[in-house]
Amino acid sequence: MSAQPSIDIRSPADVRGAASVPILKTELLSVRFGGLAALSQVSVEMARGEVRAIIGPNGAGKSTFFNCLTGVLRPTSGRIVFDGEEITGLRSNMISQKGIARSYQITNILPNATAFENVRIAAQSRRHAWNMVSHHDAFADINGKAEVALTAVGLLDKAHELASNLSHGQQRNLEIGIALATEPKLLCLDEPTAGMSQVETNETMELVQRIAENLSILIVEHDMAVVMGLCDRITVLHYGRVLAEGTPEEIQQNPKVLEVYLKT
Amino acid sequence: MTAAPLEKTIPVGNAKLGHTTVFWIGFAVVMAILIVAPLILPEFWRRFLTEVLIWGLLAMSSDLLIGYTGMISFGHSAFFGLGMYGAAGSLIALSKSLWLATLCGLAAAAGAALFVAYFSTRLRDIYFAITTLIFSQIFYVIIFTWTTVTGGENGLIFTRPHLTIPFLYDARFTSTTMHWFVLAVVTASYLILRRLTRSPFGMVLQSIRENEPRTRAIGYPVERYKIVSVMLSGLFAGLAGVLYAVQNQFAAPDFVFFLTSGDTVIYNVIGGIGTLVGPIVGAGFFQLARELLARLFGDQFPYLIPLGAVFIAIIILLPQGLLGFARRWLNR
Repeated sequence: MSAQPSIDIRSPADVRGAASVPILKTELLSVRFGGLAALSQVSVEMARGEVRAIIGPNGAGKSTFFNCLTGVLRPTSGRIVFDGEEITGLRSNMISQKGIARSYQITNILPNATAFENVRIAAQSRRHAWNMVSHHDAFADINGKAEVALTAVGLLDKAHELASNLSHGQQRNLEIGIALATEPKLLCLDEPTAGMSQVETNETMELVQRIAENLSILIVEHDMAVVMGLCDRITVLHYGRVLAEGTPEEIQQNPKVLEVYLKT
Repeated sequence: MTAAPLEKTIPVGNAKLGHTTVFWIGFAVVMAILIVAPLILPEFWRRFLTEVLIWGLLAMSSDLLIGYTGMISFGHSAFFGLGMYGAAGSLIALSKSLWLATLCGLAAAAGAALFVAYFSTRLRDIYFAITTLIFSQIFYVIIFTWTTVTGGENGLIFTRPHLTIPFLYDARFTSTTMHWFVLAVVTASYLILRRLTRSPFGMVLQSIRENEPRTRAIGYPVERYKIVSVMLSGLFAGLAGVLYAVQNQFAAPDFVFFLTSGDTVIYNVIGGIGTLVGPIVGAGFFQLARELLARLFGDQFPYLIPLGAVFIAIIILLPQGLLGFARRWLNR
C-alpha cells in the first residue's frame, strides 16, 4: 500500500499536487538545545494517504520532531518539505494554513467555551476570520464545517457542553475535532491516547482509522502496541536518530528495536 | 471561571428569542433612565453623570483588551490624552467644528495606538502591561515638556464648540444637551463594541485570551489580531478623551499621567471584565463612592483609605466584579 515513491522532488513546483509527491519529507533535520542534540539528521518521507507512526522511548525526540513540523521549534539545520513546498522555519499559524494540523499531548482546548465553539473557532480560521460586523453564529458554512468535525469525532451530542465538563477521553477527541476543523491534508497526533482507559484507547484508535480514509496521519506514540494494527509504516526514533523504519511486521522483528524497547 | 450555570437554566429551544428580548428590554430601560436623568438631576449631579459616562467609555475601550484579548494595558491614559490634545489642538488652531475636533482627536489617538501596538504586542502578560505603561509615560513627558505646542503644565484651554448637525441644528451646548451628546456617543460605542466582540474577529480575540499558542496553531496570525485590537481599543479611548475635552473645555497633562490608566483598570476590575457594560458600572460605582466618602468625611480626611477598603471588599466578595455574574449571558 505504501511503496516508497522514488520521484525526485528537487523541483517541487513542477509536480505539486501530483499523487506521487510525498505529503511530507524531512531532510537531515537536526535540532540542538545547547550541547544536546535532540534530533540529529532525521530524514523521513511519508506518502500521501499514509498513516505513519513515530515511536520511541521517552526522550527519543518524538515531540521535538513534532514541534519542528508544526512550527513551534525552528530546526537547527535540515529541511521540511510539505506537499512539495518547503515549510522549514515557518510560524505555526502559517503551517496550519498550509494544511498541517496537530493535536496536543497535553489537552489544550478552550475550557470556558463549548465543544462546538472550540471546533467553530478552528473552522473559522479558513474563512470570515477578520469579519467584525456579523454575529459569529451567523455563518452556515462555518457552523457546517464545525458540525462535520464534531460528528467525525463522535461529539455532536455534546456540542453545547462546556469543554471543561467533558471527560478526559472526550476532551482528547475534541482535540482531534479541532484539528480536523482546519481541514488539514496532514494530521499530526501527539500521543492521542495518553491517559486513556483501554476502552477509550480502542475507541480513539477506531476513530483515527475512520478519519485516515481521507487524510495522511502522523501519530507519535510511546506505546508500540497501540499503533501496530493502525499504521502503514513505523519510524523508530532513539536518542534523536532514526533507529529503524519499516512496516509494523518488520519493526516488530527488528533486533535493534527489540533491544531498545526491552532495555527501557 | 465564567458563570456557566446561568446558561443551563435557560431551555435551549427558545433561549435565543428569550435572551434577545430580555437584553433589549433591559437596554431600553437603562437608556430611558439615562435620557431622563439630566432633566431631573441638579447641575452638579448632571455633570457628574456625564463624566461617569465618559470614564465608562474609557474603561469599556480598555475592556476590549483586558476582558476580550487578555492583555492588561496601562497605556490608556496616552490614548485618552492624545484624544484630548488632538481635539483641543484642532479647536484652537484649525476650526471651531466639533466634528473636525473629534476627527483630529481620533486620528491622534489612533496614531499613538498604532505606535504602541506595534512594539508592545510582541510581549505578553506583565511585559505588555509594563511596555504600555512606559509608552504612556513617554507621551506624558513629551506633552509636559513641549510647552510651545501643548501648553506644558498649564495644558490647553479653549471655548467649547457648538453642537452642530449641518443644515439642521446649531446651538451652544447646555449641560443637558452635553449629557445627551455624550450618552449618544457612548451608546453608539457600546453597540459597535458589542458587535465587534461577538463577531468572528471578536471570537479570535477571546480565543487568544483563553489560549494563545493554540490560537496560533489553528492558523491565526496572533500578532496582527493583537495590533488591531490595541488600535481599536485606543481609538475608543481617544473618543473618550475628545468627549472629556469638550465637556471641560481644556486638555491637561494630568490626564496623560499613568494614574488615569490605573483608574481605568480599576473600573474594569470593579465592574467585571469581559462584559463591556461592567466597566461603565465600575466607573460609576467608583466615582460615586469617592464622592460620597469625600462628603462624608470632609476634604481634610484621607478618604482614599476607606475607598481602598471598599475596593478590597469587592475583590474578595465579588472577584468577577459587579456584573461578572452576567458575563456569559451578555456576550451571547
